[in-house]
Amino acid sequence: MVKAAAKQKKQSFRKSVPLLVIALPAILYILVNNYLPMFGVFLAFKDYNFFKGIFGSDWCGLDNFKFLFATENAWIMTRNTILYNLAFIVIGTVFAIAVAILMNEVGKLFRAKFFQSALLLPNLLSWVVIAYIGYAFLNPETGFINNTVLSSLGKEGVAWYTESSKWPFILILVYLWKNMGYSSIIYMASIAGIDKGIFEAARLDGASKLRQIFSITVPLLKPTVIMLTLMSVGRIFFSDFGLFYQVPMNSGALYSTTQTIDTYVYRGLMELNDVGMSAAAALYQSVVGFIVVVAANAVVRKVDSENALF
Amino acid sequence: MKGKKVVSYFMAAVLMTGICGSVPAAEVHAEGDYEKVVYAFPSFNNIPTEESIASVEEAINEITREKINVEVDLMPLNIAEYTQQVTLALQGGEAVDCFMSLGDFNNCVSTGMAADITDLVDTYAPETRDLIGEEWMKTTTKEGAVYGFPTYKPVALTPMVVYKQKYVDELGIDMSKVNSIEDLTDVLRKVKEAYPDITPLVPVNSGETGIMQAAGDVDFLSDDYTSPKGVLMGESTEVVDFYSTDRFKELCSLTRTWYNEGLIMKDAATTTAAAAELMSADNSFCYVAAYSYPEADTAASLEAQCGNFELGAKIIGEAYLDTSSVNALTWMISSTSKVPEAALKFLNLTFTDKEVVNLIIYGIEGRDYVKDAEDFVSYPEGQDASTVPYTAQLSCGVLGNFFIMYPMAGTNKESLDWELEQNKAAKTSNAMGFSFNSSSVKTEYTAVANVVSQYLPGLQCGSVDPETELPKFIDALNSAGMGSIVSAKQEQLDTWMAENK
Amino acid sequence: MIKKMTDEKRFRIIASIILAVLAFLVLMPIVLIVIASFTDEHTLIAEGYSYLPGKLSLDAYYYMLKQGAMIARAYGVSIFVTVGGTCISVLLTTMLAYPMSRKNFRYRNQLSFFVFFTMLFNGGVVSSYIMWSNIFHIKNTIWALMLPNYVVTAFNVFLVRNYFTNSVPDSLIESAKIDGASELTIFRKIMLPLAVPTVATISLFTALCYWNDWTNGLYYITDSKFYGIQNLLIKIMNNIQFLKSSSNAAMLGTNAVELPGTAVRMALAVIGILPILIIYPFVQKYFIKGVVVGAVKG
Repeated sequence: MVKAAAKQKKQSFRKSVPLLVIALPAILYILVNNYLPMFGVFLAFKDYNFFKGIFGSDWCGLDNFKFLFATENAWIMTRNTILYNLAFIVIGTVFAIAVAILMNEVGKLFRAKFFQSALLLPNLLSWVVIAYIGYAFLNPETGFINNTVLSSLGKEGVAWYTESSKWPFILILVYLWKNMGYSSIIYMASIAGIDKGIFEAARLDGASKLRQIFSITVPLLKPTVIMLTLMSVGRIFFSDFGLFYQVPMNSGALYSTTQTIDTYVYRGLMELNDVGMSAAAALYQSVVGFIVVVAANAVVRKVDSENALF
Repeated sequence: MKGKKVVSYFMAAVLMTGICGSVPAAEVHAEGDYEKVVYAFPSFNNIPTEESIASVEEAINEITREKINVEVDLMPLNIAEYTQQVTLALQGGEAVDCFMSLGDFNNCVSTGMAADITDLVDTYAPETRDLIGEEWMKTTTKEGAVYGFPTYKPVALTPMVVYKQKYVDELGIDMSKVNSIEDLTDVLRKVKEAYPDITPLVPVNSGETGIMQAAGDVDFLSDDYTSPKGVLMGESTEVVDFYSTDRFKELCSLTRTWYNEGLIMKDAATTTAAAAELMSADNSFCYVAAYSYPEADTAASLEAQCGNFELGAKIIGEAYLDTSSVNALTWMISSTSKVPEAALKFLNLTFTDKEVVNLIIYGIEGRDYVKDAEDFVSYPEGQDASTVPYTAQLSCGVLGNFFIMYPMAGTNKESLDWELEQNKAAKTSNAMGFSFNSSSVKTEYTAVANVVSQYLPGLQCGSVDPETELPKFIDALNSAGMGSIVSAKQEQLDTWMAENK
Repeated sequence: MIKKMTDEKRFRIIASIILAVLAFLVLMPIVLIVIASFTDEHTLIAEGYSYLPGKLSLDAYYYMLKQGAMIARAYGVSIFVTVGGTCISVLLTTMLAYPMSRKNFRYRNQLSFFVFFTMLFNGGVVSSYIMWSNIFHIKNTIWALMLPNYVVTAFNVFLVRNYFTNSVPDSLIESAKIDGASELTIFRKIMLPLAVPTVATISLFTALCYWNDWTNGLYYITDSKFYGIQNLLIKIMNNIQFLKSSSNAAMLGTNAVELPGTAVRMALAVIGILPILIIYPFVQKYFIKGVVVGAVKG
């Protein structure tokens, strides 16, 4: 028995060799690019000194992590980070799938090209420029919304950069504006991968277009949705710095709805410039994300092992 | 199970190579008989090509080979990326011998970036030491050890209001009566009354109205003046939380008045434009900032960037020197340098040798610039700063000794005397020479910095009511640990005072 | 039959309308940037951004023109890096994703975890820098713009793996095996052609990533000859920003020469996206073709 098992193992290893060889270049790259520099994680526990270098610097235990919790706003920034990420995952996915389905319908037409380029363009702009555009729209005095839209409706202007309650909507809108086209591409490719025969059969059965979408397309996109969601869940403690720092113009009055872990770390370390503390922040975010994603993956594996990430 | 082993084996291999990899590669310094010094300086101009830099290096080497037996490798880095690139290079064990602190003297010392050069200064750079003088050398000395030389240039920043002359003339305003930031209110009112469409006062930067610099004799004790924490007020040697002082409260209610009367730009706290841009539009009148030049020079030099309006400048306070005003730009030798002696010898030349410093700034005569009989410099016919092969002209206030550089055509030589005089005559803080090491209160610093950036711009620009917001601000500061910062500062200051009195 | 055709047609029209509205909303702000870049600087400050500015001006582009030679060179660097980087990246990524998608591959899960781990943890800039510059000596070479960070990213690997798993029937591979095809042949002759839609997708993503990247340039390039377009634009932008802030200027004792501000920043943004605007329609032809071709075969 044991012998047989060993033999089988050996055989399955031999079978794996060609596949491993194909994967080898990329594995090597990942080792070099991602795993070799992991020694930088030590920085999180060091009182970094240039002269002594990463390995020579003194250990300082968990001192570098303290600042993440030394503020009464620790809760606010954690809450904001998580809620925004959840909103982005849910709303972002819905929009991306909707756009992909619509795009697929007009797929072969000339105008599809135009729509696609248009939706992709915002992704090419840097956050600084996007912040300027946002400002052009929201500036209380000369801004497009107060000046043109609201005034023509006969309404009072809004002091956008001091009203924190408006920002969850603004930030989600900006996020969608920038990322919708980009993420819909993934779903377009997935839809393209669906066997056309299924639609053909459904059509012959007299299923309406809408019916086809909800009974065929959407369910078949499930693996992609699960995968993308799992990946975003791993980064639940990270936030897009530019979106939360540049777009609200660093306005203090908005902190209750715009402060995230990343912006807190940035503002706090701007003067101190401490490598150890920034390494600690990144490690904290990674570890939490790691725990969450491993848990989520375990659930997925139980329900639907085919689509688990690992 | 085996799979896990594979992964952990990978990890182990990774860590091993990681350790080997991180040992700084020993750079070969000596080429020929000369020691090679890498001089990293910030440039505001376009970074020249390697070839143009090489030609300037060669011209400098001709001097340095003979004088100090050294060859130099110039490393101009873009100003906005300077700190990051120098830091990375030093962390990566690359040879960078001379670098500048760029506003961060304490950090450079406390993180071990800068070498202790106490024992070398007297032998290799006595001229520079004497030029800087004992008083200023104290600012770059910490716990008895010398870490560098402050850039020798006009450092006394005098708070001024910079305004458009035409409005002053039309309304017959007597600017000579404006001697403090408070006096400004009436002027702003007059302008607003006569021209309701005008925003009389614009911010220097987003969220920065200049009132911090016009606050009077405040020693920010190593903090950035845009985000001060514990400070010294006037003659006192007691460290206080700046935001709890009466002076700060007065300033807040002053800007609040301005805001309520429409005298200051409404979105000063969030604007995307800086003073120069705002001033170049028709609908602005003045801003408040601190400059190191005489009134007339300041106004004249700003006109080009402020839309070519005729400008005036009026001093509204006295220059006040504290440690940071001197050591903000300190030239240092890196602690990892293999040739600290040679590096120091070269640094010495950038403070004392006219030819060397002008080569670094202007490049090669004839090709990069031309000089008239009185040593005024201009660009060759048909060229400008963006087209000559090499220039670092805009870095003139950053490198070595400003006073031995050739002046640009159109500047005024008498101003130099005024500036030199200001350096000596300016009022000086009691704690001149003291610098604060924040490493024991880093945690509190990050929390406090966040609170400050949340409240200060609004208060400073008058867009929030100090009656309600200031108490909230102070509460938030205290719970973020302002108290610990203040007492840590006081403790270090007391020790320093005891040693230096 | 006729009814179904109209149902489809109607749906297509509705889809077009919705997309047209979306495209309009998305483009509005971008049009504003383009207009702002042609607006007179003073007008911009006094009146704010506007679709109908009071005064137009080409100053921002004149300023750019002065840097023309540098910008042209930087375009060259960026295009080279984008094309080269994308090719290497797509090759390596698909080669890794294929084994990961094979259900009977023994190290499938371990490999997936190995890849996914990199998405969460990294050693930070300092250690990456030390490694790339001290071991591989890529500082101030063209490799510095291509190799670090983007060649194999977990995200792309999973996209391709997922596509392989869900769109390629196992029977196809099995029958190829029975015919005696080696793994490499299966990968080249069967998997890659089937993966066209997803290869198109990750090519696009990777190309955008290389085109937009400026961090590699910031960390590894100090020689101006290797500036890519984003680096150059960011440098110009940062310099303007830095010098316009009077507090910096005062500290450094420097008085900025006349620098155009806001309009130039917008012009910089336009210059950054212009090539994509020009090239994308052409690339897109292949992209859409790829998606459609894949659909037919699948």
